[in-house]
Amino acid sequence: MRPLTCRRCANRVLVEKYSPIHTSVQWLGDARTDCAEFAGLAEAGADSAFVPTCGALRASIDEAVRAGLVPESRFGEPAPLPR
Amino acid sequence: MGGTTPEQDEVRMIETGSNPTRFARGWHCLGLADTFRDGRPHEVKAFGQTAVVFARRDGTIHMIDAFCRHMGGNLARGAVKGDEIACPFHDWRWNGEGRCVGVPYARRVPLRARTTAWITMERNGLLFAWNDPQGNPPPPDVTIPEIEGYGTDRWSEWSWKSYLVEGAHCREIVDNVVDMAHFFYVHYQIPRYFKNVFEGHVASQYMRSTGRDDIKTGVQMDLPDAVTRSEASYYGPSFMLDTIWTESDGDVVEAKLVNCHYPITPDSFLLQYGIVVEKKPGMPDEQAQVMAQTFIDGLEVQFLQDVEIWKHKSRIDNPLLTEEDGPVYQLRRWYQQFYVDVEDVTPEMVRRFEFEVDCDHAIATWEAESREAAARAANAPA
Ligand code: FES
Ligand SMILES: [Fe+2]
Repeated sequence: MRPLTCRRCANRVLVEKYSPIHTSVQWLGDARTDCAEFAGLAEAGADSAFVPTCGALRASIDEAVRAGLVPESRFGEPAPLPR
Repeated sequence: MGGTTPEQDEVRMIETGSNPTRFARGWHCLGLADTFRDGRPHEVKAFGQTAVVFARRDGTIHMIDAFCRHMGGNLARGAVKGDEIACPFHDWRWNGEGRCVGVPYARRVPLRARTTAWITMERNGLLFAWNDPQGNPPPPDVTIPEIEGYGTDRWSEWSWKSYLVEGAHCREIVDNVVDMAHFFYVHYQIPRYFKNVFEGHVASQYMRSTGRDDIKTGVQMDLPDAVTRSEASYYGPSFMLDTIWTESDGDVVEAKLVNCHYPITPDSFLLQYGIVVEKKPGMPDEQAQVMAQTFIDGLEVQFLQDVEIWKHKSRIDNPLLTEEDGPVYQLRRWYQQFYVDVEDVTPEMVRRFEFEVDCDHAIATWEAESREAAARAANAPA
């Protein structure tokens, strides 16, 4: 998985693409507080666990993919999170 | 043999692992609450124990260990007397908190006359028990949500079923939440969009699917060309609440589906599922109930096919996956949090993880397969 920083809030995640449609995202910190979009939702009473996607992060990923920064990979078993 | 690498020639061995002997921490649904309010004690085998579930006069439902600490009588064979459960052997009286509050023939209740009691909760007409091997109460943020408008005219009554599954650990059913491809083979649906999100104690599945050309099920509610949108979440290890929108011909029917279980032993569990269907304004009650029944009957067929798989499959700790399979490893990492002490929950288990499956190749394959099967069936001599 490749490290990626959200362009809106500097939240850092790991991203993987098996294909243009597939995406996996491993968050490294607490999504409720590390992500500006989710923090905004939390103020409105929404819990990020029930929000399918952060739009700003998604846009950042799509941009990185277009820029060729996230080459497609094959299935691999998950590695432990970096400490 | 030409052309294969040593790696390709190596036989892949299944690592079966073994079923945990511990039972998951979390809220477990025991069934429709009203079924326990008939004034009688109910024996429930769960979490490796035998419990008695009974209602007090105020209607609150309690769950304590069934075996009387006096001489081991089974309280579930006794009687509810007032607000207590009375043992059939020597009439010791146990309250809903698990304390012996009276021995009618004795002058005193002995010290330490206390038994295991589970914390119970009622939500949406369902009864829940909190299981925690460490004996802690549920944290406030770990709960079961209310279904908006439950108990009002907005929803039908629960259509509810349960099924005893023996010879499998309940991890098998939880695995389903990420298993995109089995929805076609086992549940006769074609997933069009499939995404999982795990965060904290919640594991969600977002799916859009259509029926197959060749095999129809009640899950499409007999609506032509129905598209099903589903947002399902596990609230902890065993209780999934799924909002389903069935769209057909510009109409949308909303339903709430429960898919839950509680473990009985390390290799048996009670599978339960139920549904309430939205009553449209002007829709007669019977029509909503018929839709719910059609759906649940279709669901029963599907679940029994899951059960057939679970009963005969191997436990497998090292599944061999393609890029079109869902995140089984990450799901199990999430699931593991319920089988360790709270102090031992690691970031891997609870950090948010998202996985969107690319269904395109599968859709093309499955559309062709079901179209051809439908054509064959249409041409077959009657
Ligand atoms: S064993 Fe229960 S009262 Fe004696
Ligand atoms: Fe299934």
